[in-house]
Amino acid sequence: MSDRSRDERRLGWMLCAPAVIAMVLVTAYPIGYAVVLSLQDIDLRFPEEGGFVGLANYQSVLTSSLWWEDVFNTTIISIISVAFELTLGMIIALVMHRAIFGRGVVRTSVLIPYGIVTVVAAFSWQFAFQPDTGFVNQLPFIADDKAWFGERFSSMVVIIMAEVWKTTPFMALLLLAGLVTIDDGLYEAAKVDGATAWQRFWKITLPLMKPAILVALLFRTLDAFRIFDNIFIMTGGAQNTESVSILGYNQLIERLNLGLGSAVSVLIFVCVFLIAFLFIKGFGVKMNEGRPGT
Amino acid sequence: MVGRVTSIVALLAAGMTLSACTASQEEGAGTRLTFFVFNEPSGAFSEAATKCSEESNGKYTIAFEYLPSDADSQREQLVRRLGAEDSSIDILGMDVIWTAEFANAGWIQPWEGDLEKQVTDGTFESVIEGATFEDTLYAAPFTSNTQLLWYRKDRVENVPKTWEEMLAESERIGENGVIQVQADQYEGFVVWVNAMLESAGATVLDGPETVSLDQQATEAALETMARFASSESAAADIDTSTEDTARLSFEAGGSSFMLNYPFVYPSAKENAPDVFDQMEATTYPAVVDGEPSAPPLGGINLGISEFSDNSDLAFEAAACLVQPDNQLTAATLGGLPPTNEDVYDSKEIEEAYPGFSDLIKTSIENAAPRPVTPAYTDLSLAIQSALHPIGDVDPEQITEAYDKLKEYVEQAVKREGLL
Amino acid sequence: MERTTGREKTLWTVGIFVVILYALIPVLWIVSISFKDPASVTAGDTLWTKFWPQDFTLDNYKGLFEGGLDSPLLAPLINSIGIALIATTIAIVLAAFAAYAIARLDFPGKALVLAGALAIAMFPAISTVGPLFDMWRTLGLYDTWIGLIIPYLTFALPLAIYTLVAFFREIPWDLEQAAQVDGATPFQAFRKVIVPLAAPGVFTAAILVFIFCWNDFVFAISLTSSDASRTVPAALAFFTGDSQFTEPTGNIAAAASLVTVPIIIFVLIFQRRIVAGLTAGAVKG
Repeated sequence: MSDRSRDERRLGWMLCAPAVIAMVLVTAYPIGYAVVLSLQDIDLRFPEEGGFVGLANYQSVLTSSLWWEDVFNTTIISIISVAFELTLGMIIALVMHRAIFGRGVVRTSVLIPYGIVTVVAAFSWQFAFQPDTGFVNQLPFIADDKAWFGERFSSMVVIIMAEVWKTTPFMALLLLAGLVTIDDGLYEAAKVDGATAWQRFWKITLPLMKPAILVALLFRTLDAFRIFDNIFIMTGGAQNTESVSILGYNQLIERLNLGLGSAVSVLIFVCVFLIAFLFIKGFGVKMNEGRPGT
Repeated sequence: MVGRVTSIVALLAAGMTLSACTASQEEGAGTRLTFFVFNEPSGAFSEAATKCSEESNGKYTIAFEYLPSDADSQREQLVRRLGAEDSSIDILGMDVIWTAEFANAGWIQPWEGDLEKQVTDGTFESVIEGATFEDTLYAAPFTSNTQLLWYRKDRVENVPKTWEEMLAESERIGENGVIQVQADQYEGFVVWVNAMLESAGATVLDGPETVSLDQQATEAALETMARFASSESAAADIDTSTEDTARLSFEAGGSSFMLNYPFVYPSAKENAPDVFDQMEATTYPAVVDGEPSAPPLGGINLGISEFSDNSDLAFEAAACLVQPDNQLTAATLGGLPPTNEDVYDSKEIEEAYPGFSDLIKTSIENAAPRPVTPAYTDLSLAIQSALHPIGDVDPEQITEAYDKLKEYVEQAVKREGLL
Repeated sequence: MERTTGREKTLWTVGIFVVILYALIPVLWIVSISFKDPASVTAGDTLWTKFWPQDFTLDNYKGLFEGGLDSPLLAPLINSIGIALIATTIAIVLAAFAAYAIARLDFPGKALVLAGALAIAMFPAISTVGPLFDMWRTLGLYDTWIGLIIPYLTFALPLAIYTLVAFFREIPWDLEQAAQVDGATPFQAFRKVIVPLAAPGVFTAAILVFIFCWNDFVFAISLTSSDASRTVPAALAFFTGDSQFTEPTGNIAAAASLVTVPIIIFVLIFQRRIVAGLTAGAVKG
């Protein structure tokens, strides 16, 4: 190995080290501990019981219909909200990028929803949709006493709307940053060649934005799958809107069944891992390679 | 660049100074006892604490460590510390349903001997029952709470004594005859369910792990609830109703009946004077004609942490806090019903509950505590899953609902599976 | 630069208006709630009267500032701002180093770092709170600024690293060399060529990390116990209504409205740097 590449390796490790240490130091023990707990039967309220039970907790979870219902709910909510967020995010990003005036105002306004304290946002959506205190029921075509959170479909609609509103800015911001790095010269050249705006979008913009889209989609979906606050505040999981995170919370914090709760957490992790894996493979973007051609 | 670094360092310094400051802000004499409880809005608890600290003549000072306002969040914070055997807690303000759970986990100390007699002397039986686990008293009763039937005297002609009468009256009134309850998927729903079951003569558990649920009585209660929920008397948003939404809806005027805690009285006085003028209270409606109802029972008990470094002083301080005088303050300032029967004989109690202090006393006497078991949260989750939304329970097929409830409750006390 | 037609101008105006409305109507609703008197919260029966306060009051805001330094909002606000700023700065610096290495250098273990970072971001935070609580109590970091900065760093780093890697990949690094050939020193080349290209990514990551720290509730509620380090989201959980069962909706809405102002300022400043790093002529030739 040449001196040069040895130096490069050393530099690489040194530059990564602080970040890696920061991440591992704090999470190694908690994550390890959670995994260990998931292999035990341990309920804080009954300290005399307990002991190693191997995969029994996992068996309990995976054979429970409640778990699969919740996975279904979570998947539906995730897919629908991420789909909306991507589309809306792209449109908004284009507006933020190309707005011919008021760019600062538009960008800041768009980011405000993301910056509002999550719990308060959820609470205000709930407030708006309640018959007595809210204004939504006064809109045309909606019954004055419609109980939005009284049934599954309407609850899901509100939850997804609240989720989309809150986190589209995240997508929009990342997509904007991606848009901004595209060289205008490419568009000029394409226009000279006679390409329409639509063609320019599909053939130049989207492909060049692939890395930004990947990061945005990846992290957004990981977070979407772990949705908690909006559902917890609006329905508490009732009307069959419960997500896997709420299930985990119920076992871990409500029932103090650390074994089951940790097993649910680990399984959520596995699900999310699968999603990430699919995304990265599907996109074919190798994050650890430099730009082709450099 | 330099400016930025300086300001960051300044911020860091400010942050650390702030934390140093709060640590040394206690000015009182003697040992500092920490009292972990929610921030009671009227200041009644603070008054009691100051009084007791002074009366201790320098032995101790009670310092508050506030917990979040929501009961579940309070429990989460307490459990985190107790589970870690943290010595920072001396006295804890416990919701009535946590007694068995905390006791079984070995987190709170039993009250024995003279102190036990002192804190239970004159206390309602129902309250003591809720604070006892395995025949030992684990918490000192402090304040209680119960629900009354509030109604509009300008609309109601015959004040109902039973659910049947109430439903009939509500139907007679028509559109504005709605009855407000709490039926969202949360603990408040279990409060209602338990009250209905106990009023019908059924009880959920016979012991910490034995399911009772007499079929006939349970079905009677469930049937009444189901019929009500699918009738016009139930609010459109019944499936998401809480104590606060019930209050708001009643104050908005569209309802004629409300089952709720006494906090609605001062609230209506301030927020909806028109409604307040027509507001009256009576006892929680009975389910079985002739059998008195068993109204819900809530409240705060004081426990002493197993891991406290100052147990003796903490017991003393807690015993002082729950004195009848302080209970009276809690009632007059904060509207929290006393747990000591004799306090109801005093004049001042009429200030807090003008015209209905006796109602409250009888309510608490007849109240039935929710099941006392260490697996209470499992039980609560099970009941919620089995019966929510109450509108979906078919009054014609009530045995189905009974079977489902029994199955879920049995699974819960065995603590199996996911909930 | 094309001339913008009148028609394009109108389209843009409408478009911008729609986007802003979509983003801000719920925010307006929160502000409206903050001005509603608790007695009139259910008043009104048309869209307009239910949305806007029927009984305008400033009480919800006044209640937030009673008591000076002890007020319910001041200390948490300071904590939030300080902790979020510090965590963001450190996170961006650490992530930039790592991202630079991953995007530009060749060394074994790159994929591992990326995969590990992702794994950490994926693990449900609620499970880590218990052990973290134990660790912090033992180390004395409980209820301190550092006690929150560290977990925020940890959970924000993956997002920051991935974002920065995605953007650093796109930078043509040989520009540096080209600039040096043109006569610039290595530092000048870095500063005038690389930094503007990296800016959009860096400022994007900074905004995202800041908002993540600002909004966190799970760690804030469990790793703090007093105003020494409690941040705003956790402080909101301690707001009380008039009684145990009354929701302090007005106060919470008022607090949330106020607390959004620092965010607006932060974003307004940072978003200006998210512009094309390539100015005409810098790259060509």
